[in-house]
Amino acid sequence: MAPIRDKYTIHSKAVVCQDVELKGDITIGSGSIVHPKATIFAIAGPIVIGSGCIIEEGAIIVNRRKEVMRIGDDNLFEIGCRVESPTVGDFNTISTRARVHHTVRIGSYCVVGAGCLVVPTDDEFLDDYTVIYGPAAERRTWSGRGKVQEADLRRKHAEYLREMLPKFNRLRRGEGS
Amino acid sequence: MDPPIYYSKAEYIETDTGNKVSRRATIAGPQNIILGGKTIISNGAIIRGDLRRTGAGHAVVISLGRYCVVGEGCVMRPPYKTYRGNFNYYPMKIGDHVHIGANTVVEAATIGSHVEIGKNCVIGKFTIIKDCARVADGTIVPPNTVIPALALFAGSPGRFVEDLPESTQEIVEAQTKRYYTRFQPAP
Repeated sequence: MAPIRDKYTIHSKAVVCQDVELKGDITIGSGSIVHPKATIFAIAGPIVIGSGCIIEEGAIIVNRRKEVMRIGDDNLFEIGCRVESPTVGDFNTISTRARVHHTVRIGSYCVVGAGCLVVPTDDEFLDDYTVIYGPAAERRTWSGRGKVQEADLRRKHAEYLREMLPKFNRLRRGEGS
Repeated sequence: MDPPIYYSKAEYIETDTGNKVSRRATIAGPQNIILGGKTIISNGAIIRGDLRRTGAGHAVVISLGRYCVVGEGCVMRPPYKTYRGNFNYYPMKIGDHVHIGANTVVEAATIGSHVEIGKNCVIGKFTIIKDCARVADGTIVPPNTVIPALALFAGSPGRFVEDLPESTQEIVEAQTKRYYTRFQPAP
């Protein structure tokens, strides 16, 4: 295997802590937040993260495929989750300790509950508003109630972190800035 | 007598009050964290004192009592919510003699004294755990749960399993004290 070329493109408005493990070709969009101890691995293809995403500590985002892994806007990756899906839409929540395999593509407004494993053997697409919950990873569809409030919380959360994180943590800057 | 648990002296910092904090733990915003004394913070633990309540002055984010143990790879971070339209993180308070197992994620609001939390648990946001409760290994406690005193919680989602004996307080107290004395630097 060819050695991984590191190339980070971090938007000037993104907040990426110093203590983050990055590898490969990674693009982080404006206003996204990466907490310390998170890991983003672009092993084969590049990873492109949209704007307003929050990636908490211990979260692992891996791209094992050749194609570009696209993560949309305003997603929340909570503590210790592991995501390998080739595409992720907007406004998804991957809760604490959840795991999503590379066979799953995630739509928008999905929630993967705490500790859920989403590991189908065949390729699968999670429709918008899918909620995965419980120890057996059961599924339901969210009615979309409280969507505005949820989006508002996410936006305020990101806004708060953009303000507070730089006060206590050292930040990493993209190349050339 | 139990055999001592040895650690290498270079790896832990010991404070005047007997706290032992691993150098390999990630502690953000240490000025906002209070350790009660004789508390052990193991390798790879992450404690987020930087996620503080907005507002001027000094804010305590995480306070731990005496004889607590934060296991390896634990994540302790304060819970957040919006209240009256303002987003904020809220402080987390933990009592004395609390053991938290390895790789557990804690986002509780309050944890009482003499509480045992197993390994690989997820304690949801704003959970309140009362005194002398126990959470079994691998339990997933949903957000806003209240775990009553002397209760054993287990499963996913965490549910009440049984009552604990009234002697729990003494047992846990003795256990945590013994653990602290066993935890010694390698000779």
